[in-house]
Amino acid sequence: MDGIHDLGGKQGHGPVPVDTGDAPFSHDWERRMWGLAREGLVPSMTIDWFRHGLEMMVPADYLTQSYFEKWATNYLMIFADDGIASLQEIEAGHVADPAPRAAAKTTQEVVEQVRTGCTDFSLPPDAPAKFSIGDKVLTLDHGTAPHTRLPGYARGRHGTIIAHHGAHLLPDEGAKGRHVGDHLYTISFTARELWGPDAHPADTVTLELWESYLVPPR
Amino acid sequence: MTSFDSDKAAELHRHLHSHLPSDPALRVKALESLAIERGLVAPETIDAWVEAYSEHIGPMRGAQVIARAWTDPDFKSRLMENATEAIKDFGFEGNATGHLHAVENTDAQHNMVVCTLCSCYPFSILGMSPAWYKSAAYRSRAVREPRAVLAEFGVFLPDDVALRVWDSTAELRYIVVPQRPDGTDGWDADRLAGIVTRNSMIGTERDLKAEG
Repeated sequence: MDGIHDLGGKQGHGPVPVDTGDAPFSHDWERRMWGLAREGLVPSMTIDWFRHGLEMMVPADYLTQSYFEKWATNYLMIFADDGIASLQEIEAGHVADPAPRAAAKTTQEVVEQVRTGCTDFSLPPDAPAKFSIGDKVLTLDHGTAPHTRLPGYARGRHGTIIAHHGAHLLPDEGAKGRHVGDHLYTISFTARELWGPDAHPADTVTLELWESYLVPPR
Repeated sequence: MTSFDSDKAAELHRHLHSHLPSDPALRVKALESLAIERGLVAPETIDAWVEAYSEHIGPMRGAQVIARAWTDPDFKSRLMENATEAIKDFGFEGNATGHLHAVENTDAQHNMVVCTLCSCYPFSILGMSPAWYKSAAYRSRAVREPRAVLAEFGVFLPDDVALRVWDSTAELRYIVVPQRPDGTDGWDADRLAGIVTRNSMIGTERDLKAEG
């Protein structure tokens, strides 16, 4: 979707806050949010529904809430949507009918869970790839609704395929809860193709884009 | 069950916008209480995750991988060929690194990583992402004026060095292999790992220093 999250190339956001230090967290609630999110919490959702949920936030909230703050807001929306908690329970901060407590995990167990939780997003392709490494391609000049990973700044642009990764889950369908594979490519765009003649002639931007975002060059 | 209904998500967000406390600590507290009371997670498990990502999983992992690549040509070729497989030597595979790619800086090319659409990051190898990586300023500008962004980090890229910015739009994640600095001949991998910074593995630092 053409939402506020699609930040690539937008202007007016000021300098990068480079001096944010090396600490992974600055507040205790950020630590709690990170730990909660590592457990997934909502088995029925997909990673793309989570991302799409962030995109559907009130735009002013998206821009003003910090990373972990957005996660908390989005998780509460996802809880309400899934039915894990009603809106009344969310506002009260407690459920009416508590379930038995979950079993506790140790640090050693969760470190091991990171290792074994290595997710493979590739799928067996159901059709041969239409493009090959070295091919020139043109990106679609419109996005698909409601969720897409083709950013606005790379639409309607010519690029060159530099890698083919087989088929990967298509996020546009993943946000609808469907598991559909589509060929995935890494595509290199010259900075001048994206940003015009003032860009450095040797610079490039690469994106991973799915075959359904691409057409042969005109 | 998740509805996957975009309009419903928009409506719920608007309801929550007007009914939730503005203090993020209170919002996270509500989420935590709901998750615990529904039996989805134990409070001790949240503590365990915090400790895991504060003490065990962080950029020191990536630094060890880079130091090995600098000292072991066979490992380096495996890393460049398939980083997801190569980091299994260390047991560092996992969260968000199922499709990890290593990209190498040279005298002629610099690499820099961003996620413009959200803030995708290779957690199991670099730990929690720094706040600047998730900022609207970095996400918006890294693809459009990367040399100006680098200058804000104190990196002044010469005109004859090409810059490639990798926008993580899919589930592929990137780790930059910085150049080994001069003056480190004879250093072992442990000592080398000590000079590899997190920012150098994201690409917002270029010239590492032989100090340590």
